[in-house]
Amino acid sequence: MTVVLQQAINGVVLGSLYVLVALGLTLIYGVLVQINFAHADIVTLGAFAAYFFTHGLGGGYIPSIAVAFLVGGALGWLMNAAVFAPLQSRSELLPLIATIGVSVLLENAMLAAFGPIPYAFESPYSNEVIRFGGTFITLQNVLIIAVSVLTIVLLYAFMKFTFLGKALRAVAQDRETAGLMGINPNQLVMLTFVIASALAGMAGAMLGPVLVLNPFAGTSVIVKAFAIVIIGGFGNVEGTILAGLLVGLIESFTTQYLGPGLIDIVVFALLLLMLAIRPTGLIAEKREENV
Amino acid sequence: MFSRRVGYLCAIAAIWALPLFFTDTYWRTNLIVCALNVMLAIGLDFVLGYAGQLNLGQSAFYGLGAYVSTLLIMRLGVPFWIAFVAAVAFSSLAGILLSLFAMRLRGHYLAIASLGFAVITYQILLNWISLTQGPLGIYAIPPPPAVTLPWLPKIDFHDLGNLFYLVAGFALLSYFLLDQLVRSPIGATLTAIREDEVSASSLGINCAAWKVFAFGVGSGIAGAAGCFYAGFVGTLVPDAFFVTESFTILAMVVVGGMGTLIGPVAGAVLLTVLPEFLRGLGDWRLMVYGAALTAVVLFMPGGIVQAAQLVRRRLPAGETRK
Repeated sequence: MTVVLQQAINGVVLGSLYVLVALGLTLIYGVLVQINFAHADIVTLGAFAAYFFTHGLGGGYIPSIAVAFLVGGALGWLMNAAVFAPLQSRSELLPLIATIGVSVLLENAMLAAFGPIPYAFESPYSNEVIRFGGTFITLQNVLIIAVSVLTIVLLYAFMKFTFLGKALRAVAQDRETAGLMGINPNQLVMLTFVIASALAGMAGAMLGPVLVLNPFAGTSVIVKAFAIVIIGGFGNVEGTILAGLLVGLIESFTTQYLGPGLIDIVVFALLLLMLAIRPTGLIAEKREENV
Repeated sequence: MFSRRVGYLCAIAAIWALPLFFTDTYWRTNLIVCALNVMLAIGLDFVLGYAGQLNLGQSAFYGLGAYVSTLLIMRLGVPFWIAFVAAVAFSSLAGILLSLFAMRLRGHYLAIASLGFAVITYQILLNWISLTQGPLGIYAIPPPPAVTLPWLPKIDFHDLGNLFYLVAGFALLSYFLLDQLVRSPIGATLTAIREDEVSASSLGINCAAWKVFAFGVGSGIAGAAGCFYAGFVGTLVPDAFFVTESFTILAMVVVGGMGTLIGPVAGAVLLTVLPEFLRGLGDWRLMVYGAALTAVVLFMPGGIVQAAQLVRRRLPAGETRK
């Protein structure tokens, strides 16, 4: 029983991280119907930014999350300005292919600059453990869950109650009509990229101390994030959150009972099954272009 | 303008002459890698450039071809050429299996499903240790067996020049096969599916069946390349077939020019040889793939082929007779 509970806690922690990464993908897909493959590298760069802020400049860990948030946002702005905006009118696959190029470019640049050996990113909260009964949780993991929940609540409030949030949803629903109502869709696409990438950068800062920090740190997460957005239904925020937690739990229980080598196989088998049975995702939305 | 036959004769002459110029092991190895990459690139181009399906699983089909043939040869003692046929058939079947998803999915969903397929295949190769020996790898894989033809000395494939003739011969054969396909009505059918699936089906085209066909052909060619790869390198580790290999092949196709056959050939050769010339840059040279891919999509989506056409149009009118 304690094992099950312990793995459930680990699963929720992992799931919260995945949700932060996957939310960005889903937000971008919502307004632009495009996938940013380089999202993974924004996660990694966020993690490295936080690492150099704490270990190089001697900054605190909590401020480093904010630094990664800003770095991520800046990279998102750059990504949209350099790739998505110029390719907007082109065929649907070209922007995706271009972001694969950017991803390969960034990964190899980081490999050349930082080397393949994992960095020891130490968070002051990783060693403080809270125990109850036979299970335990590190303060770092509490922080991860807390930040994720806070982010989701803030994002929800932003989308629901602010003018910009409403405008964003309008653009996601119908870009042209939103344009006719005096909303500038291009600015909102930019805003979406900045928010989505800032979340990715922040996720990087938090997963750095938990997972391995090397130039491919984001890639291992993003592959699951892709699975999550499809399982949850592309462009669907609630579905993404649900699927993110589900994949986190699957990962921790697979590690416990089947062995860590099988994680990707189980997750992607679920993805392929989902695509075959219910390609619109857990929570269906009326978006049929890809199905 | 050259006729097609002259083009093929030139290609045969070039393949014959290349090992005569490049006699050292280093360059002959690169020649063989070029030929393998040409096979992978034109196979992907048939699916991506003609049928318009973004398949990120090419690394998986490559790996399946390599592992299936090697395991048949080393575990069961199957003769090389029978194992070759089995490997091509197996990769082709795996491609058809993946395309069963492609029938219902388009664009981004297919890209992610095929990426997932590549990840699963890599993880299976890595974790099914009793079969593939996982990360330890399989060693001492023999090259294809020597061939004895009447009136000729024995052709031994331990010799890299001969091995190049074999692989390049199959690359040319694949090119010829695909060229025949894309110039037949099948090519027009696939292009119609790429441009507009709804209109294509309203013309009576069975889109699902043709996608299955394109995947089967494209992944079969990748399987053949995998089979030669195993015999050429002599060692198999799953890392050779990681997902990034798919991205490299994608870069070759896009940089050369999607939707043409000669383009991916040029792209494969360029992106295989260029990093060798940039060895002085150390690890930074690997950025060539990503930089080339991004730059081409942004500034010249037709790739090398489009660039060549632009140059030809700028030449004095007399030289551009058609």
